[in-house]
Amino acid sequence: MLKTLGLAALLASCATLALAQAKTLEPGQDSGGMILLPKFLGILVFDQAHEGAQEAHDELQDAGELQFLGPTPENSVAGQIEIMTTAATQGVGAVMISNNAGDQIAPAAQAAQEAGVKVVSWDSPIPGAEGESVFVAQVDFEETGRVMADMAYDIMGGEGQFAILSASPDAANQNAWIESLNNVLSSDEKYSKLELVDTVYGNDQSEESYNRALALVDSHPDLKLIMAPTTVGIQAAAKAMQDEGLCEQIKVSGLGLPAEMVSYTMNGCAPQFALWDFRDLGYLTTYVAYGLATGQLTGEVGEQFTAGRMGDYTIEADPGREGAKRVLMGPFTVYNSENVEAAAK
Amino acid sequence: MRRFWTLGPWETFLLVVLALVYAANAWLSPEFLTLRNQVNLFQLSIEKIIVALVMTFVIINAEIDLSVGSMMGLSACAFAAMVGQAGMPAPLACALCLLIGLAGGFVNGVFVARVGLPSLVVTLSTYIGYRGVARVLLEDRSIGNFPDWFNALGQRGLVGPLTLGLLSFILLFMVLYVVLERAGFGRKTYVIGVSRDVADYAGIDTARHKILIFMASGLVAAYAGLLFAARVGAVRGDVGQGFELDIITMVLLGGVSIFGGSGTLTGVGLAILIVLSLRNGMALLNVTGHIQTGVVGLLLLASVLVPRLGARLSGRTVA
Repeated sequence: MLKTLGLAALLASCATLALAQAKTLEPGQDSGGMILLPKFLGILVFDQAHEGAQEAHDELQDAGELQFLGPTPENSVAGQIEIMTTAATQGVGAVMISNNAGDQIAPAAQAAQEAGVKVVSWDSPIPGAEGESVFVAQVDFEETGRVMADMAYDIMGGEGQFAILSASPDAANQNAWIESLNNVLSSDEKYSKLELVDTVYGNDQSEESYNRALALVDSHPDLKLIMAPTTVGIQAAAKAMQDEGLCEQIKVSGLGLPAEMVSYTMNGCAPQFALWDFRDLGYLTTYVAYGLATGQLTGEVGEQFTAGRMGDYTIEADPGREGAKRVLMGPFTVYNSENVEAAAK
Repeated sequence: MRRFWTLGPWETFLLVVLALVYAANAWLSPEFLTLRNQVNLFQLSIEKIIVALVMTFVIINAEIDLSVGSMMGLSACAFAAMVGQAGMPAPLACALCLLIGLAGGFVNGVFVARVGLPSLVVTLSTYIGYRGVARVLLEDRSIGNFPDWFNALGQRGLVGPLTLGLLSFILLFMVLYVVLERAGFGRKTYVIGVSRDVADYAGIDTARHKILIFMASGLVAAYAGLLFAARVGAVRGDVGQGFELDIITMVLLGGVSIFGGSGTLTGVGLAILIVLSLRNGMALLNVTGHIQTGVVGLLLLASVLVPRLGARLSGRTVA
């Protein structure tokens, strides 16, 4: 992880030299209050994003409050709509949302924008981009497919059947990653012997994901790998394989948290997985939201700004969604038995 | 002849609670009493509260309908499949969805009233069955892109700031109030709820009565599903999931006995206002979802305990 940060810092400083136009945000202004809205409460990565957001909020000496508000897991969609609607009533400066409601959030987000609230999505965007000012993308969604394909190729020795265990069918980020994985698999001869046989959804609930993973094993006897691009799914799948003593035949990979995956990586159930830093994502998102809410950023394509310790970023057109704008964080870190223990601390 | 509007002890208690909640909210959040927030307060739960009005009849009739959330999902998913995928005109699809609701309610009613199975079992089966069909229709997709006028009906005011959903709720409340408290249908509903045998001896066609109530429940649930589709502009298989428990909570909090035979629509109306304004007030104070759910749960527990404790203290028994 330190290596990644170092690399990011190096890249950032190069970028600073190359582009001296980046705007430095004036601290101490009033955003009008900001709400960090995760998919739901009780997930470690969202708590980490909150830590990062709080760090940025403190640095920026935002006179408005930062609230971490989320729905309960079983009420995620209606809860996100409710919080977005209430935020518009309260007239806060910005809502930062990891969207779990698909386009169902769009009417509420549009109403919030009409009330003067800046809507910044992070982690998972609003698919149709309606009601969204800008999306802070953790990684390039195209790159995600390549990283997952590479991990699958390594783990499976270049051939065999694998399946995907995703979160919810409406999570825009999950769908984009799965699509990009499919594109990579079909376009590159190298992966021609990797066969994706099934995609199932565990809705980011541990028990449901666990059961879905076991069901995959039953329905596909030749399965060699379960690829879970969700931190809840990958952990549940790894635990399921470990509990059933299947780790020799079926490996698990995907996107996971070092702290949650370290034991499975060391015992061989999940030899490789990847992720970005959610603290950084919360930190960068808060800089963007603060800039927009205080009027220091306009949110136009091409606008450049400095996000504190993370360096310079540019608002650009989102290649994955027509008419949408994004700030790309990147890059990925791939974890294995050599670096996972250090990162888990 | 009774006075037109009477309040029992429980309704009086609810009215006091409601006044306290409103006063506290208005004091703590300047936005609470704004027209916009008051409309949003209803809009965010509009589908549930509309169905709760008919659920009042179901429970007074000594039955339960657990399938309403699934029926909302089925109706919304059928609409999405017909309009979003098959390209059918939306008005026709709406009509078909309402027919699905009537048919679904009829199935519930026949198995309960003619076959004689407990409504808990019947509607638990259809709770699973209707949801299953809804999920088969849309699989794991999300379907949107409904006509603009359809989405506008769910999202924008129809008469001033009043949305179609809110107007439907108000109108339905008034109609059902008259039916339950003033018409023969309402009196039969209570009599059957107290004792179906007695009602049978009195010559009431109890089976027909129950089937009608279940059909109304299915119809209104399907209508609520369409309102939900219009309000959020996109549909997936889990629409309305878990709504049935929130709906039943409001009805019980309103003082309707789970054993049937007693309760009023006034009480349910007050309970709806309490739950909605309590949740809204907490949301405005940035209280998270877990605590909101906990508070509503405590409120329901109190609603069950307080009358019993009161009865014990005064030496009476409650039904």
